[in-house]
Amino acid sequence: MLRFLLRRVASALMTLLGVLALVFGLVTAAPGDAASLAARAGGNRAVPVSPEALAAFRHLYGLDRPVAERFVTWTLRALRLDFGRSLVDGQPVADRVARALPTTLALNIAALLLACLVGVPLGVAAARRPGGRLDRISGFVCDALFSTPSFVLGLLLLLVFSGWLRVTPLFADAETGLRGFVLPVVTLTLASLALVARFVRVCVAAALADPAALAGRARGEGPPAEIGRALRRSAASFAAMGAALVPAVVSGSILVERVFSLPGAGGLLAEAVFARDLPTVLALTLLSAAVVVAASLAGDLVTAAFDPRTADADEALPGGVTP
Amino acid sequence: MTGARAALRRAGIAFALFPLLALLAPLIAREKPWITGRAGETILSAPVPFDPDGVDLDRRLTPPGRRHLLGTDELGRDVLARVLHGARLSFAAGLLASALALGLGAALGTLAGWAGGRTDRAVLLVLQIVQALPALVLVIAGAAFLRPSFLVAALLIALTGWTDAARLVRAGTQRLRNQAFVDAARASGASDARLLFVHVLPHALPPALATLPYVLGSAVLTEAGLSFLGLGAPPPAASWGRALAEARNLLPDAWWCVLPPGFALFLLVFTARRLGDAFLGRRGDVQSRLA
Repeated sequence: MLRFLLRRVASALMTLLGVLALVFGLVTAAPGDAASLAARAGGNRAVPVSPEALAAFRHLYGLDRPVAERFVTWTLRALRLDFGRSLVDGQPVADRVARALPTTLALNIAALLLACLVGVPLGVAAARRPGGRLDRISGFVCDALFSTPSFVLGLLLLLVFSGWLRVTPLFADAETGLRGFVLPVVTLTLASLALVARFVRVCVAAALADPAALAGRARGEGPPAEIGRALRRSAASFAAMGAALVPAVVSGSILVERVFSLPGAGGLLAEAVFARDLPTVLALTLLSAAVVVAASLAGDLVTAAFDPRTADADEALPGGVTP
Repeated sequence: MTGARAALRRAGIAFALFPLLALLAPLIAREKPWITGRAGETILSAPVPFDPDGVDLDRRLTPPGRRHLLGTDELGRDVLARVLHGARLSFAAGLLASALALGLGAALGTLAGWAGGRTDRAVLLVLQIVQALPALVLVIAGAAFLRPSFLVAALLIALTGWTDAARLVRAGTQRLRNQAFVDAARASGASDARLLFVHVLPHALPPALATLPYVLGSAVLTEAGLSFLGLGAPPPAASWGRALAEARNLLPDAWWCVLPPGFALFLLVFTARRLGDAFLGRRGDVQSRLA
């Protein structure tokens, strides 16, 4: 168990280092270096910047040093969460990200909690009668939800509730307060709900079809005990599902924040890409990778805690999901 | 078994509508009449007699009616014509990206499974790194450096979508590498290439190929998301994602600009996933739904 833990942590660190290298490689290989980008992003494009000024900029920011040295310096600074200053407003990138993060976190945590609150009972109810009416209807609805892009879902809700019924604001801002958060949270909830409900349904149905469940029924266990056992038996798979949900949630949140013009990290990323604000793009890319790696690590550790066999499997691939 | 076969046929027909529409869009939706008389008068016009880029500022934002079945957008372009032509872009992007992703995944998966050892570990590390980045984030970050275009979007999506195929092919190759029939072929002097291409890959590739509809579905979703953010194919190309982004600012008035591209997008992804389900022949399988 300890060996597994150490190996997984080491592998997670290796992955993060790889992401750092990939992101750094992108920056280095990108056409036009930071100096010319800063010159373009910072001021009026019509005014040419002299080559001497560019050279001075490169020297100031150490861009004339060898690549390997720059990578090490850059990595060390990234570890201290120092990503330099934004090319848009000259603010430290870390501050901009920190300002945007609470919105995103509140949005996603609320959505995930709601998705579990609705999705788990729905999945259990569908699993109790595989092929029954509830199972078929919820299966179809989940399939449909799964095929709907989150931003289309958001636009639909916006059209119905803000456009036609006028119960929610079209654009969220400080004045609209919490009401502005209702539709984004509902959108993200529906987007994750399909996966949660279907996954719970598959796991619980498998556990209920198991001989252990039959033995329980033979001993006279009622449905609550039976379902409690089925859920406990599936706990390891649920942890894996939670980890697998995170990348989808991150991607969805970028689009949904854009739809509802929320000032979150996803909106910041989209803005930064348009402004070619590389430091901010890189910081957010690294942040999302760190979140995904951490979630995958946590998922694997919880899975191993519930099901020690996974820790013994030598070839176990991190991040994999087995229902 | 007949049930599964019928389901596959239904799913296949539903899905095949999209490439058909994509191919025929320039015929169905065009301003030029199908048959023109000698004096230049229209004898038979196209079913949707508008070009997708036909700007008509006198008819901006007309609601659906007899002339424009699905209304017009803020430049007076026919929404139906643009949705039909948008199928070309979405389908082509999805197909190109998913084919590239499967090719890349198959190549790397075979390499890892067949070579084993250090090569295997290297490929797995790359796989983990790509998986650590949510697809959209990686694609957006890439789009930040490159000029947005159809090809760039498809390539970036392929670079994020190959991991599942690689896992499947790697597992298959590993499982087959030491089977008795492969050993027998090796003992009778077959070359490595022959072992791989004649004995191993015909068994290792199909599971990965069967995931093509899923990969296509998620590629279409990512392309639409990218276009929605303004990082896909540049204007004036008719794109569902960008049409939705433009429609967002017209809310709450122009509902007819939101529903058609949104529904088309949903339908393409939904039928693709249904086809994937039918291929796998097992509904409710979750692993393949995570793509």
